[in-house]
Amino acid sequence: MSEEKIIEIRDLTRIYGDGAPIRALDGVNLDIERGEFLAIIGPSGSGKSTLLHQIGILDTPTSGTILLNGVDITKMSDRERSRMRNEELGFIFQYHHLLPDFNALENVMMPLLISGVKPSRARKIAREMLEEVGLADREGHRPNQLSGGQNQRVAIARALANSPDIVIGDEPTGNLDSRASDNIYELLRRLNREHNQTFILVTHDEQMAKKTDRIIRLVDGRVVEDSG
Amino acid sequence: MYELFIAMRHLTSRRRQTIFSVLAIGLAVMILMWSQAMMVGFTEELYAMTVDRMAHVTVEPEEDEDYIHLYRKLTEEIRSIDGVVGVSPVIAGQATFEHKDKNKNVVMQGISVEAHDLVLHITDDIIEGSFRDLDAIPNSVVVGDALAEKLDVEIDDTIDASFPEANPASLKVVGIYDSGTPQDATLAITSMSTAQDFLDVSDVVNSILIRVEDRERAQEVSDRIDALGYPASSWKETNPEIIQTLKLEGTSNNIILGLIILIASFGIVSTLFMVVMEKTREIGMLMAMGVSRRSIMMIFVLQSGILGLLGALLGVTLGAALATYMGSFTYEVGEEAMAGISTIPFVVRLQDAVTIVLFTFLLNLIGGLYPARRASKLDPVEAISSE
Repeated sequence: MSEEKIIEIRDLTRIYGDGAPIRALDGVNLDIERGEFLAIIGPSGSGKSTLLHQIGILDTPTSGTILLNGVDITKMSDRERSRMRNEELGFIFQYHHLLPDFNALENVMMPLLISGVKPSRARKIAREMLEEVGLADREGHRPNQLSGGQNQRVAIARALANSPDIVIGDEPTGNLDSRASDNIYELLRRLNREHNQTFILVTHDEQMAKKTDRIIRLVDGRVVEDSG
Repeated sequence: MYELFIAMRHLTSRRRQTIFSVLAIGLAVMILMWSQAMMVGFTEELYAMTVDRMAHVTVEPEEDEDYIHLYRKLTEEIRSIDGVVGVSPVIAGQATFEHKDKNKNVVMQGISVEAHDLVLHITDDIIEGSFRDLDAIPNSVVVGDALAEKLDVEIDDTIDASFPEANPASLKVVGIYDSGTPQDATLAITSMSTAQDFLDVSDVVNSILIRVEDRERAQEVSDRIDALGYPASSWKETNPEIIQTLKLEGTSNNIILGLIILIASFGIVSTLFMVVMEKTREIGMLMAMGVSRRSIMMIFVLQSGILGLLGALLGVTLGAALATYMGSFTYEVGEEAMAGISTIPFVVRLQDAVTIVLFTFLLNLIGGLYPARRASKLDPVEAISSE
């Protein structure tokens, strides 16, 4: 199982701007296997968020290729990219990234509804997900009625609702105190074990990074350390 | 249709903006609906005052002939045409009427009362005496009220009628009518035989007047009679100015009202632009969850469309209610103000309501495209990290 490559990145370069171009990513090569739990770390401006956005198909590279499950995502139409984001990827962003007009349950249902799952079935799955992150009793609350940690749990339930192969987190514990942060880490770890999904987390938090299986360190858009 | 779910939630979450947008459209549509009801009523009234008081189709003698000789046969043929409700052969000529020391040149029209009434509803206009007596009493006449006044005649008075090449006659006044038109001063109506004797002609007529059930089909009937070999003309041909007047009024009216709705729709478009700005990060989140650019666009177009539809339905309902309420009264607008129309009846038609709702809905869908497109073009990375 762990021999299966789920992400293959080759010579990935992303240059911003025309006048004084910034090389956010500079020839990155990276292979990630199914079920890995890894952290991408590095100083700000090192390109770690850019790399995450590339893997998340939110951005297109200047050059290079990304294979997701063997498919080159850099050559897809918007419709295919959207479908891929919906079905293969789960995003966990920082605090404040739930849809404010929808309650916890509806937020978790959303990726399912987008992929065409019937509302009744989506509601059932979303309830199970909320239960799994320990928020079954908060399903009717809107994001502004929940604490930071609770918001982040809802975001995790939402990221996992469609059973994606890859879950990516951009500073998933960035706005939380250390206890809430530990709880979120434990939750992610448990889900990783139970569902054998691939978790890729960008973090500033060295403590948290040390607990992952593999650490990718970026500096100036290049991979300078790959330990695990 | 999660797009609709999201669109609806966006609308219900900012309730105040939604209510004001719907009200703005609603008020504009209300004015349009109300004004349309007035316009239709005005048009109906104008038709009732003009077209419905004239013959819808007039048949004249064949070329180079002064009279229609075989009018009885032709009358029967015309009567059998589908949609014809009245056919009246008429013999008309000039006469000089004298009573006491007063005299006046008039047009004498010989008719069959029953047939003529089906075409022009003349018996409705009688104010004294009766048209029926024309058939019963030989050498009798019905005159307009203005003519009666000029000649100083009353019922049962006798008028001396004469004209070069005519057989002088003494005509007994059996009725006085008031049609409210200038004809009241110049038109005298007799039985057909009285007029034929006076004009010294055999049993002939010089025109046939026709009424059709649907005035819009007058041209059709006129064309069919043309095909029989007799020159016929519909009211549209003889009175093109009526159509012109209505067209002109209708067009300028619709342009102004269309603009009002356009302005109200601009309000929705600018509101939607603000919403797109406010919701930039959410749009980014939705994209990350796999909502395609097309669906993002749909979410915002739907919002504009729903606001437009709600506003249109509200406006049409209010406009129809207002028109119905105001239509239950009559308003004096001045005798001379509008082609002799003295009151405005409002006519609320379902077809107008449907047209207005569809027009407003479509306008808002189109208006919503621009901000929706803006939303769909957002860069997901920038959108997600925006504050």
